[in-house]
Amino acid sequence: MSATDPSEVVILAAADMPEKEPRAASPRRRARPEGLVRSLLRNRKAFAGLIILAGFILLALLAPVIAPGDPSIITGQGAQAPSAEHLFGTTPKGQDVLALTLWGSRSSLLVGFVVGLAATAVALLAGLTSAFFGRAIDNGLSLITNVFLLLPGLPLLVILAAFLPPGLGTVMLVLTITGWAGGARVLRSQALSIRGTDFVAAAIVTGEKSLRIMFREILPNMASIVMITLLGVVIFAIGAQAGLEFLGLGDPSVVSWGTNLYWASNDGALMSGFWWAFVPSGAAIAFVAFALALINYGVDEVSNPRLRSARRRPFGTGTEVAR
Amino acid sequence: MQFVLRRLGFYLVAFWVSVTLNFLLPRFMPGDPISRMMSQSQGRMTPEQVVQMQALFGLDDRPILQQYIGYWQSIFTGEMGVSISRFPSPVSEVIASQIGWTILLGATALLIAVVIGNLLGILAAWRRGGALDSILPPFLVFIGSFPYFWLAMGALYLFGVILGWFPLRHAFSAGATPSFSPEFIGDVAMHLVMPVTTIVLVSIGGWMLAMRNTMITTTSEDYVVMAEAKGLTANRIMLRYAARNATLPAVTNFGMAIGFVVGGALLTEVVFAYPGLGFQLLSAVTALDYPLMQGIFLTITGAVLVANFIVDIVYVRLDPRVRVS
Amino acid sequence: MAHRRFKTKARALAALAVAGGLALAGCAGGTTGSAELDGTQLLTIPREDKSTFSANFNPFSPNAMPMTQQAIYEPMFVYNPADGSTIPWLATDWVSSEDGMGVTFTLRDGVQWSDGEPMTAEDVAFSFELQKELLGGFEYLESVTADGAEVTFTYNTPFSPGLFEIGEQVIIPKHIWEGIADPANETNPKPVGSGPYTEVTNLQAQSYSLLRNPNYWQPDKQKIEGIQMLAFAGNDPANLATINGETDWADQFIPDIENAFVAKDPENREFWFPSVDAMIHLQLNTTKAPFDDADARRAISMAIDREAVTSVAMQGYTHPADCTGLSDSYDTWRSAEVVESCEWTTRDVAGANALLDEAGYPLGADGERTLPDGSPFEFDISVGSASSDWLSVANIISQNLAEIGVTATVNAPDWAVVVAGYEDGSFDSGIVWSNNAPTPFQYFRGVMSTETVVPVGEQTFQNYHRFGLPAADELLARFAASGDEAEQEAVMDQLQEVYAENAPIVPLFPGPRWGSYNTTRFTGFPNEDNPYAPLSTRSTTTVLVLTTLEPVVSE
Repeated sequence: MSATDPSEVVILAAADMPEKEPRAASPRRRARPEGLVRSLLRNRKAFAGLIILAGFILLALLAPVIAPGDPSIITGQGAQAPSAEHLFGTTPKGQDVLALTLWGSRSSLLVGFVVGLAATAVALLAGLTSAFFGRAIDNGLSLITNVFLLLPGLPLLVILAAFLPPGLGTVMLVLTITGWAGGARVLRSQALSIRGTDFVAAAIVTGEKSLRIMFREILPNMASIVMITLLGVVIFAIGAQAGLEFLGLGDPSVVSWGTNLYWASNDGALMSGFWWAFVPSGAAIAFVAFALALINYGVDEVSNPRLRSARRRPFGTGTEVAR
Repeated sequence: MQFVLRRLGFYLVAFWVSVTLNFLLPRFMPGDPISRMMSQSQGRMTPEQVVQMQALFGLDDRPILQQYIGYWQSIFTGEMGVSISRFPSPVSEVIASQIGWTILLGATALLIAVVIGNLLGILAAWRRGGALDSILPPFLVFIGSFPYFWLAMGALYLFGVILGWFPLRHAFSAGATPSFSPEFIGDVAMHLVMPVTTIVLVSIGGWMLAMRNTMITTTSEDYVVMAEAKGLTANRIMLRYAARNATLPAVTNFGMAIGFVVGGALLTEVVFAYPGLGFQLLSAVTALDYPLMQGIFLTITGAVLVANFIVDIVYVRLDPRVRVS
Repeated sequence: MAHRRFKTKARALAALAVAGGLALAGCAGGTTGSAELDGTQLLTIPREDKSTFSANFNPFSPNAMPMTQQAIYEPMFVYNPADGSTIPWLATDWVSSEDGMGVTFTLRDGVQWSDGEPMTAEDVAFSFELQKELLGGFEYLESVTADGAEVTFTYNTPFSPGLFEIGEQVIIPKHIWEGIADPANETNPKPVGSGPYTEVTNLQAQSYSLLRNPNYWQPDKQKIEGIQMLAFAGNDPANLATINGETDWADQFIPDIENAFVAKDPENREFWFPSVDAMIHLQLNTTKAPFDDADARRAISMAIDREAVTSVAMQGYTHPADCTGLSDSYDTWRSAEVVESCEWTTRDVAGANALLDEAGYPLGADGERTLPDGSPFEFDISVGSASSDWLSVANIISQNLAEIGVTATVNAPDWAVVVAGYEDGSFDSGIVWSNNAPTPFQYFRGVMSTETVVPVGEQTFQNYHRFGLPAADELLARFAASGDEAEQEAVMDQLQEVYAENAPIVPLFPGPRWGSYNTTRFTGFPNEDNPYAPLSTRSTTTVLVLTTLEPVVSE
């Protein structure tokens, strides 16, 4: 974890809350995912985030329709300011910036979500197994998790990315390896606290099979924190992919937001004042990450009622109890 | 005490695993450093020189197990060998020359982000629903969503080039001699402003949000309600009761973050040409400089483990419940 | 109220912080740049390839600090590829033997090392001894004998091009280096040299200065006070400093230099990129079909749009190559006949298609060609990911080849991986440099001599494409054995004809030697009108510029 990666802080901080208050953080009744989604849609912040995210996904899917052809063809027309013909202008290599941004969203979002799902799946598996199967396995998995957490992420990313064959597969693999450990720790502590609750004890006593308990009793109650972890990893993946590609360690022949920024920098766009080649991809990353953060915000509020911006009286004002 | 011993045991095992990984990883990389130098020189190095240089650099071709044992020996003696990409400077010299700046940059940024972020988080939780709470967290998270290098380059361009308010690069003005005079310290401070500010901007949102959420949960605890009922002032409850408990997770995260400060801030060093181990590691990796890579990895791993261990001990003092669990 | 007190405390704290910050800023002193010019300003040069500096001035180390071989140590003469002249330096005269078996140098009188000791022929002999011992090379050199002010080099085999290698070798002081136990591992932090700027001052991780050699043999040419090197982690920050006017002389790659750099101050800023560096090629691995067929190689070459490659990918900084494969540093050797008569370096898509049809690579219904054995005509183009301009070159070539039905996929891992593939012959094709010595001998030897061909799987450091012609061998041997200029020229013409006929490799463009400068603080830089040296800060020619520059003194 570095000082420039706040998402991990949020996840880790959120983790330590439920440890002390198992009952308050997770509703006792079986919270089915559908319930979560519905209350999410009603939350203002999450709704806004979902809209933005859906917009980007839609644009990504429609990129071949809106901007047909190969956006990375090098032409001789050089960099041109935004105009009616090129809404976002062209790069110093004569490529249309809007087309590059639209096509770039496909690769960036794909990598982000694949890594998010993969890393969360691994983390979930590790966390659940750790929580449920007893001390020896727990200690072993904890050790592995902690070692991965303590390995310096960026250097590891750099080494793996520099020397595996370039391609999206490599980037996804590398980001999954460096991104799963944070979630595993969080999910493990959450799973542990749920395991200690009465209804799980009841299930064990009545003889439910271990796997069934893991997936039908514990997991549904972790829905919100799994979602928070997933979104956090997606944010990490999109940002880390951009960082890797900017350093030239990604696959430069793939069109993605990170490689757009890489080429903009290497063709001297900022130096020459061609800001339009540099701004859209960075802004796109920011908006997607922000949308995901908003959704995360919402999930947090939905699952932890105290965080809701409802009409709870603000602490410290209003009624002074006694003077 | 038992808790401390268990943690120590864990850290020793983690150290061994990390060291082994640090040893194995570079050896999986294809290619060799001299050929890479050749590609960089683009024809200025002659083919005859390459052969001789391989002998000169003394590239190790002992069996892997021997190299592994030799690596452990070097860890205990502190002799990390001679760097290939900066031949013949010894690895320890290369690291020592930059670690000071790395720590200065990283620690300053981290401290500012943590202190201000947590304070803002406390304030935001205190005035739930108020102006601060509604605007600042989303705004800071939005700023933090931008890719760091994008923000840094934009800031560099805006404040350094166009407005000219701050120096564009390096840790101090070229030609100045390091000393403890107020002028030099002022010079260093001016050069720190942009790198530190950009790092703080990107990370502060996370600290603030985490603290805010923790505070809110804490303030709804029974003992806080009890304190209110007893008639303690809001200020006192806020700071002496709620905040003290809410900072516990922040302490853990701070500990982890402090360790990684030694790893340097790669993108900051690249954009602001700030001397540091982050870029040094990247260039060691791309130049296939095994000794330097191993040296830096070792330094980072050691620092992270030590920092975590210290934090664990401190945490035990802060939170007695941990001893019992 | 309680929380009001907290707020006021917070406000007070914030005010204190701001005040403290301003105070510190005040203490920082002024920034550079706006000072009066009194002639003692230091020549400021950025280096983008060394993120930090350390005390390593060992001339035998490939990682020595910048200016070690340019300002601290000097060679016997300096060859200027920009105009083909050779300038006597530590030697005043040299005579090659007729049969190409040796050369005798006459050393300059009165040259002193920076510690006051006189330079002698013994130093020269010792330099070559140590060089051979540590770094190898000079296999043709049998012995070096010092006799008064003369040094005689005797070869064991005829090798007239050896003259330049010997002449450009830096000379080190014997009285210092014979006492060093382990010269390979010596960092030499306080170097003793014969060059104009030898005194290392204020060495920091981010910068260091080199001040005047008090005993320099050309004191009237030490007009500038000294040199200041700045370290940067990559091109971008170095370019930023250069564009901002904080450096005087820079030779890193600056994209779009007209707009980014020159336009900010056209009166004082200039750039000049003579294409005198190594020729850059698309090399085709001749051990793999169809690259063993000269027709296929020529057709691929004809499909390439070198104009687009040089004007877009290389930003107009260089020009297309011709069929001689010779870089601009060999202009005096270039055969006008070959240039005129040969056509396979000119873009001709129809011609390329026709050639491939004739040579037996049929075009399928899907627009893709196949080899005679039925497999698709497709291959990879390797290039290192760090070289973004060459990556663009590869991308354009890939686009061009699609027009003749050939599928070329660009493959860009790190250079270490790419070079490993070149060295063991496992690559398909790739963007590659070539040898660039003062005569074209090493160039042709490295692209088509059987002596440089090694089998696939064995490591080699030149002739990666593994092509050799006995005819070329013969001509190269004749060149090496001849000390007569006229004969050398005739042989070189024939070599170019053999090259043009066989197309062993596909030349793309001669590499530009980057260089830009700013005359606000210093004048006297070379440029197109006055090409007394290229603008590189990392070559043998750098010392020519250092001894010509003059500081500007403001009135």
